[in-house]
Amino acid sequence: MAVTLLAQRPSAGVPRLSMTGVTKSFGGVHAIRQAEFHLMPGEVHALVGENGAGKSTLIKIASGAESFDTGQILIDGSPVTIRSAADALALRVATVYQEAQLFGQLTVAENTFLGRELTRGHRVDWAAQNEQVGRALATVGLSDEFATRKVEELSAAQQQQVSIAKALVGDARILILDEPSAILTDSEIENLFVAIRNLTAQGVSVIYISHRLDELFQIADVVTIMRDGVTLGTFDVGELSVGQIAEAMVGGEFAAAAGRQARGAAEVVLSMRELTSRRFHDVSLDLRSGEVVVLYGLVGSGVAEIAAAAYGQAPVLSGTMRLRGQPYRPTSPAQAKAQGVSMLPANRKREGLFSFQSIAFNICVGSLRLLKRLGVFTDAARERGVAASMIKTLAVKTPDAARSVSTLSGGNAQKVVLARQLVTLPDVLVLAEPTQGVDIGAKEEIHKIVDQLCERGAAVLIATSDLGEAMRIADRLIVIRNGTNFAQFAHGVGQAEVLAAASGELTREQERELARQEAI
Amino acid sequence: MSNLTAPPTGQKRSLAADWAARDWKRLLLTNRTVMLVALLVIVVGGFSLLSAAGLLKADYNADYLSAALINLVPLTMLALAQTLVIVSGGGGIDLSVGSIVSLAGMIFGFTYGLWGWPLVPCIIATVLFGACCGLVNGVLVAYLGYPPLIVTLATYYAMWSISLVINGQKPISTKPVQELYALSKAVELPLIGQYLPLVPLGVFIFLIPTLLVVWLIMAKTTYGRRLFAIGTNDVAAAWAGISLPRTRAAAYIGSGAISGLVAVVTVCQFASARPDAGVSGNGMALPAVTVAVLGGVAITGGIGRVAGVGLAALLVVWLNAGILIAIEGNGGTQFQLFALGVILVGSALLNGFTNRRYAGGG
Amino acid sequence: MSATTLTARRRERVLPPAVTGQELILIGVIALLWVLLALANPGFLAPYSIQNMLWRLAPVGIMAIGMTIIIVTAGIDISIAAILMVCSVTIAKLIAENGWNFWLAVGVSLVIGAALGAINGVLISYGRVPAIIITFGTANLFQFLGLRIFNSKTVNGLPAERGILGPGEGGRFLGLPIAFIIMVVLVAFAWYYLRHFPGGRHFYAIGDDERAAALAGVNVRRRIFLAYLVTGLLVGLAAAITIAGGTSTLDQNVGKGQELVTIAATVIGGTSIMGGRGSVLGAVLGALLVQTVSSGVTQLGWPSQLSNLFVGLFIVVAVGADLIRERRRKAKL
Repeated sequence: MAVTLLAQRPSAGVPRLSMTGVTKSFGGVHAIRQAEFHLMPGEVHALVGENGAGKSTLIKIASGAESFDTGQILIDGSPVTIRSAADALALRVATVYQEAQLFGQLTVAENTFLGRELTRGHRVDWAAQNEQVGRALATVGLSDEFATRKVEELSAAQQQQVSIAKALVGDARILILDEPSAILTDSEIENLFVAIRNLTAQGVSVIYISHRLDELFQIADVVTIMRDGVTLGTFDVGELSVGQIAEAMVGGEFAAAAGRQARGAAEVVLSMRELTSRRFHDVSLDLRSGEVVVLYGLVGSGVAEIAAAAYGQAPVLSGTMRLRGQPYRPTSPAQAKAQGVSMLPANRKREGLFSFQSIAFNICVGSLRLLKRLGVFTDAARERGVAASMIKTLAVKTPDAARSVSTLSGGNAQKVVLARQLVTLPDVLVLAEPTQGVDIGAKEEIHKIVDQLCERGAAVLIATSDLGEAMRIADRLIVIRNGTNFAQFAHGVGQAEVLAAASGELTREQERELARQEAI
Repeated sequence: MSNLTAPPTGQKRSLAADWAARDWKRLLLTNRTVMLVALLVIVVGGFSLLSAAGLLKADYNADYLSAALINLVPLTMLALAQTLVIVSGGGGIDLSVGSIVSLAGMIFGFTYGLWGWPLVPCIIATVLFGACCGLVNGVLVAYLGYPPLIVTLATYYAMWSISLVINGQKPISTKPVQELYALSKAVELPLIGQYLPLVPLGVFIFLIPTLLVVWLIMAKTTYGRRLFAIGTNDVAAAWAGISLPRTRAAAYIGSGAISGLVAVVTVCQFASARPDAGVSGNGMALPAVTVAVLGGVAITGGIGRVAGVGLAALLVVWLNAGILIAIEGNGGTQFQLFALGVILVGSALLNGFTNRRYAGGG
Repeated sequence: MSATTLTARRRERVLPPAVTGQELILIGVIALLWVLLALANPGFLAPYSIQNMLWRLAPVGIMAIGMTIIIVTAGIDISIAAILMVCSVTIAKLIAENGWNFWLAVGVSLVIGAALGAINGVLISYGRVPAIIITFGTANLFQFLGLRIFNSKTVNGLPAERGILGPGEGGRFLGLPIAFIIMVVLVAFAWYYLRHFPGGRHFYAIGDDERAAALAGVNVRRRIFLAYLVTGLLVGLAAAITIAGGTSTLDQNVGKGQELVTIAATVIGGTSIMGGRGSVLGAVLGALLVQTVSSGVTQLGWPSQLSNLFVGLFIVVAVGADLIRERRRKAKL
């Protein structure tokens, strides 16, 4: 299916921000090539693209967090140099990242002015600070009373609003919002939109990055689509549909078909019924032995939490899980592992790696029970043996299992963490973002390992926000949206269709109807 | 700026590789055992030379060094106790060891000196009592989430107070207790002993068993693996199915048990169960922490080896022994403080430096 | 809403409450203890008894100001007892053996305290080594220094009463010990500075998230250096009050254990050892609680060593209350 490139919108007047011919490469690989991005005064300009398409590199360049190789940045028509976050701020370009960098113990007003306090006779001028922050807070839809509240008392959504207000107090004329809606609920998103409209009414230009395509139609004026480091063009949102944007993002390729046949059905190993926690609700699915089920959802959709619930790492409020027909409700990873469920955590560095321990330690640390000798000792010979065989099986590139795991590349480190889950072959293997931050070669190899596991009868549940991966590896693909299963697809479905489902082409009524039907 | 300081990473290159590359500086800086052995050679060699030149008040010879080992026993044991706790991570430290030594020593005094229990049950009871004190620390830290520094400060106070009050501030030095001094005397080793100086008995009955047990626990048991796992990355340990509270609490219990055994050692050495045994002078926690850090234990957890701690203790003891006979009057003990301070600050700065210098490359 | 009403409301409440819950509870506990102690022993509330207790509160309270600032930046200083020793013996020697004027000696003490604090500050802020390790080490070094100054002898022949800073008649103003009044003034100033000056607020930001504070433009190293320097200075002053206590002999045990007493007072006062939270008002209340308990224990005729047991328990309870509050807050979000 070819992408129909729509006519680019006519650009009238001088753009507030122009990035022309911007190229940036990391170690010989182009992150972005000849990117063109023009932001007009007072507009909300959406920036969309798959993971790795170059969106974040582009905005990091604009906000001074990243340098670039060639190209030019113009503000109001004149060339500018942005080499640091301070440069960007001086040019009144403010960025609000997903994770707010705020001080929990300080008040909202203090956070806003930290390092640049307003003073009167050497002491902080609270009244003036609160006054200014209060005004900014009103713009983003928070009452001015929040100025004197400690940040730790605020919800994640409120903290994000505070971050935006903080940017406004700096008199930003260009505001970059990096996936602001990922962690927000629907009503919170509504508040955010109101805030954004208030800003544009005052002439602020907003760059809005989001994975949720349905949002764009509510908030954005224009959209720039990126794919593989290239800006495909800027379009009026009104002229596009979610499907068309999704198609442009994935490039219309039909990447999924290559590979294997969908595997035949076998017995159900793990089932969930109306499973509900604080981050997801009414999730139902069946996982059979020898198949790969992928939970695909955008960041913040709840996929990672659903996977973690199967491993006893996310508290379940209601609903049931069954493992091989028996009731199953693990409250700790140890319990899950004892019953044959193993999980590769999503955040390799934080949740996976023991960074200054050896590779062998990292592989064997999850199976110490197995390596016991005389009740308390570690069988060192078996430990070495297990490590050596896992290194061989998973083709971890290292000369020596006794080396520190921190000597490995991302892909090999990921294989080591994966190896930990495979020392005893689990009945159910849960993988969260198995190939995030992993090079292409290792990604292929990890996918092959998953295939092999399935052939040996394991049931694999993968939670991912990488669409390409989901397409390639899934026997069945369950799209998670707003914290519940929303649609199900079989192997071989079109990418754009999946993306559209995940990012919201359908209306709420259709959603509900579908969700009811799809509840397996 | 504590949270900017990453713990030392594992050697990126092997010992053999550094050796082959003749990268002496790197070898010395990144391999703590090599560095400590080198320092030990310098200290012993230096004082021997001074001794040969007649610059010392007494001979710095094998007999003197051997006699100094009497101080090695409690110091090493308590440093191993700190090692367990510090390696367990989460800001681990045990300030209460001195108080546990005092209080457990009083328990030992009661059971052995006053109630006339047989020796072995008394020792077992004392060690168990120490373990119970450790359990209090462990539960507060691991299960209730208290900061270790604060918990052990509080229990330091509480147990110090109890040990003073429990017998009205009076030491217990009845006849059986006094006779225990025999356990502190120096003995000749069997077979080859005639060629060697006499060695304090405590080295064999207390120190070496403790070293062996702690080494076995840390290097050879599955518990040791779990301990290093939670110390290195407690979040990842939880994901790997390791019970964080249980593993961490056990480290404090171990520290308490070792302190209990040290209580027996000090009662033997003083021939008296003194209520202030563990808190007099500079207390016992500070030198123990110093030796652990010098021995390469990372204060951030997850790194530490028994061999390094043992060598560090030996270095400190022999250095102190040398200082004692090198300085006129009773200034020796003062210069020991100086040496301890310089060593601690120096090794901490060195840890920081090697992290920055050698952790990045590889 | 009009701008004027907004401003009016903001003036009412510019910051979170000036007195925290922990501090109110402490005041309540102290008041309760005083009542109970007074009932058990009417002599407890005699002017002399109170004056004596307030005078003895002063050095700990003054050191607790510095310790609070340090702990707020997520640091710690184990070496203050050793600094106190060095400063005390310096003053004692200068006046008893060299015949110096007391105030001149105090000036030297302040300079020495600040210098030793600065050594800590430099090592911690520029050496990038955990504060606990560095101050453990410098505690040894400073102690060595102090013992060298003692030169293995006690300092004898100190004049019995050193007037203004002492606990006696000459050291009172309106019936209150002047040392205590100095402490109150310093606490008030520190309280105001930490609350209302950018520099004060930066200590809290550093303790909360050092990296983020640096990114926001806070001069982190300079702030941390200053915290230790000021603490050293305050310890120098505490030493002056200690010397003014009126004993004729100063022995080498001076200052022993004061680091733990000060940390205990600070922590009981609600300052979080993890940094980012705490107040000097709480620290002084914590110190007063510790002082009340130790006076109370002696006045009740209990063994004085028992007071340490209570201090230990108070630490556990105070920190525990904080942990519970923290957990509740997290559960609510």
